[in-house]
Amino acid sequence: MVDVEKCLACKSCEIACAMVHSKSKALEEAIAESPKPQRMLTVEATTEFAVPIQCRHCETPLCVEICPTGALRRHDEQQPVVVEQELCIGCKMCTLICPFGILQIGLEERAIIKCDICLERTQAGEEPACVEACPTKALKLVSLDEPTESKPNKSR
Amino acid sequence: MRKIIIIGGSAAGMTAAIAAAEQDPSAEVTVITSDRVPYRRPAVPALIAGYITEPSDIKVFSPETLKRHGVKLLCPAEVTNIDSKNKNISVKSNGKESKLLYDSAVIATGGLAKIPKIAGADKKGVCTFTTYESAAEIAEIAKNTDCAMVIGAGFIALEIAEALMHKGLDVYFNVRSRILRTLLEPDVSEMLMHKFEQQGLQMLTGQAISEIGGSDRVEYVIHKSNKLTTNLVVLGAGVNPNVALAKKCDIELGASGAIRVDNQMQTSAKDIYAAGDCTETLDLSTSKYTYSPVGSIGALAGRIAGRNAAGANLQTDGFLRAQADNILGAQIYSIGHSTTTAKNVNLQVEVHNLDAHQMGEQNRIAKPFEMGKLLTNREDKIVGAQLISKKHGSQFSWQLYRAVLTGENRKDFLGRFDSTRAKMVQALVDAKQSKVMIDNISVDTSFTLKLSKKP
Repeated sequence: MVDVEKCLACKSCEIACAMVHSKSKALEEAIAESPKPQRMLTVEATTEFAVPIQCRHCETPLCVEICPTGALRRHDEQQPVVVEQELCIGCKMCTLICPFGILQIGLEERAIIKCDICLERTQAGEEPACVEACPTKALKLVSLDEPTESKPNKSR
Repeated sequence: MRKIIIIGGSAAGMTAAIAAAEQDPSAEVTVITSDRVPYRRPAVPALIAGYITEPSDIKVFSPETLKRHGVKLLCPAEVTNIDSKNKNISVKSNGKESKLLYDSAVIATGGLAKIPKIAGADKKGVCTFTTYESAAEIAEIAKNTDCAMVIGAGFIALEIAEALMHKGLDVYFNVRSRILRTLLEPDVSEMLMHKFEQQGLQMLTGQAISEIGGSDRVEYVIHKSNKLTTNLVVLGAGVNPNVALAKKCDIELGASGAIRVDNQMQTSAKDIYAAGDCTETLDLSTSKYTYSPVGSIGALAGRIAGRNAAGANLQTDGFLRAQADNILGAQIYSIGHSTTTAKNVNLQVEVHNLDAHQMGEQNRIAKPFEMGKLLTNREDKIVGAQLISKKHGSQFSWQLYRAVLTGENRKDFLGRFDSTRAKMVQALVDAKQSKVMIDNISVDTSFTLKLSKKP
C-alpha cells in the first residue's frame, strides 16, 4: 500500500529490490555483477504523483490465465502469483499482458522473473525489501483482509 | 491405466506432458526426447553471453520437477517408428531398441534449423543453436574471435547478436530483406534497424551472404561483393517442420509441409495428436491453417493436445500469435497479423499508425512509445497490432492484445486506448472527487482496470 502523498520517487525501493535479487546482496558488488541485478518494481511518476508499482495481486490475474505451461500460478488468493521457473519456456506472453509491467525476462536464464511481494522474507517475519527501504515510510505491506486506516488519497 | 507418450521435449512437448498428467493423474505420461538436457530456447543467448556457463546449469523441466508434475522423462532417446495399428512406439536408447505401448501419443518433434543455400555453409565455425551443445560451441568460438556474422531475421537471431556484442565482438547481421519481417511493418523494421545500427550492430541487408569462404574453417564471408573477415557465422534463419517421423508413419501433412491437425490437435492417425513447430495451426482471425512456428503457440497447442490425449474434449477456435522481446534497449510487441502473415492467408488488411501524441498520456510523458501500428480487416476490426517502446511498453500492449483477441472495432478501441499510467491517474482523480478510498488498482481477466474500494 502506498501513501501517494509521501512518495518522493527517490527509487530507494527499486534499488533495494535489485539488491535482494542480486548475487552479492551488497551495493558495491551488485553494481559490477553480470548480469546486472534486476528490480521487480518500478516507480511510476507523472507530474501529478509518484507510485511504486509492485505486483498488483490481481484477483483473477491475466498473467496466470495467459501462461501456456502453468508456470505462473498461486496457491490461494492470499498468496502472490509466483513463477515456477522450471516450467517457464520463455515465451514472454506474460510480459505483454501485465498492464503494470511486473513480469520481465530474467537476464540470466531467460525465464520470467516477477515481484512476489518478497514471499520468502515475509514468511520469515521480515518486511518486503521495498517497504523496508522507503525513507518516508510511504510503503506499507497490508494483507488483503486487514482493515486499513482511513487517510485521504491513500491508495496502492 | 492410460499410457500417454509425448515425442519431443521442448515447449510443446513438455507443456503437453504436464497438461496430460493434470488431466488424468492416474495416467502414465512419458516424454521421449533426443535432447540430452531439456531445452529452453530463449536460454541460448544467455549461454552465449556467458551468463550461464554450463547447459546443465539451466534449470528447466528437470526430472525431479517433471516427476512432481506426474511426468516421466526418457532422454536422450530417439523414436524410430510409430505403429498406429498396434499402438506401439519404437525407441532407441543407449544403443538398445525397445517398443513402448501407448493409448495416446503427442508428436512434438519441433523444427529443424534452416540451412541457407550458401556455398561454404558446411565449414567449421558455421553454427546453429537448436541444441545446447551447438550453442555452447558458439560460446566457445566467440571466446577466440573478434568478429561474428549472424544470419537471420527473427527475435532469436537478434538476441544472439546482442549476446555476441555483449561479449565484445564486432557483430554483423545479415538479413535478406528486413528484420522481423513476419512480425512488423516495413517502416517499423526500418526504424529498428537504424536504432540497432546506432548501437553498433552492423546491418547487411537486401541480399543474402553469397559465399562463406576459408579453408575448413570460416575465414570470411562475401556480401554484395564486400569481403568481411570472420571466424564465426551463426545461422538463425528460421526452421522447417521436423516431420520425418510423421511422414514415415503415414501421418498426413498439410499444404505447408507441416503436420495437419484439426481443432482438437488430432492428426490423421487415431489417438495421435501433434503440437508445436512440427504442425500447422489454426489462425484465430481467419480460421485458416498456417505454419506459425512460435513458442507460445506451440505451448498453447501442446496444452490442448496433452489434455485431449488424456481424455479431454477441448477444441480451439484458433491461436492468436502474441510475441514480445527486448533487443538492444527496444521493447518490441507484435500481436496477430502483420501484412506479411495476412498475405499468407489471403487476408486483406489496412495499416494504421498509432499516434502517441493523440493520447491523454501526452499530457504527462513526452513520448510514451516510439511507434505503433494497428492492422484492420475490411470491417475495420483490429486483426493485428505492433508497438515499439523504450520502456513500460506493456502499459499499451495488454490493450492491443485484447483488441486483437476480441476483433475490436478500431474507432471504439482508439476511443479508450491510453497508458495504464494515465488510466490509473484518471481512476485516482475520479475516486478523490467522489471521496472514495481505494485499496488497490488491479486488472481482471475481462481486461478492465479494477478498483478495489475500501468497505
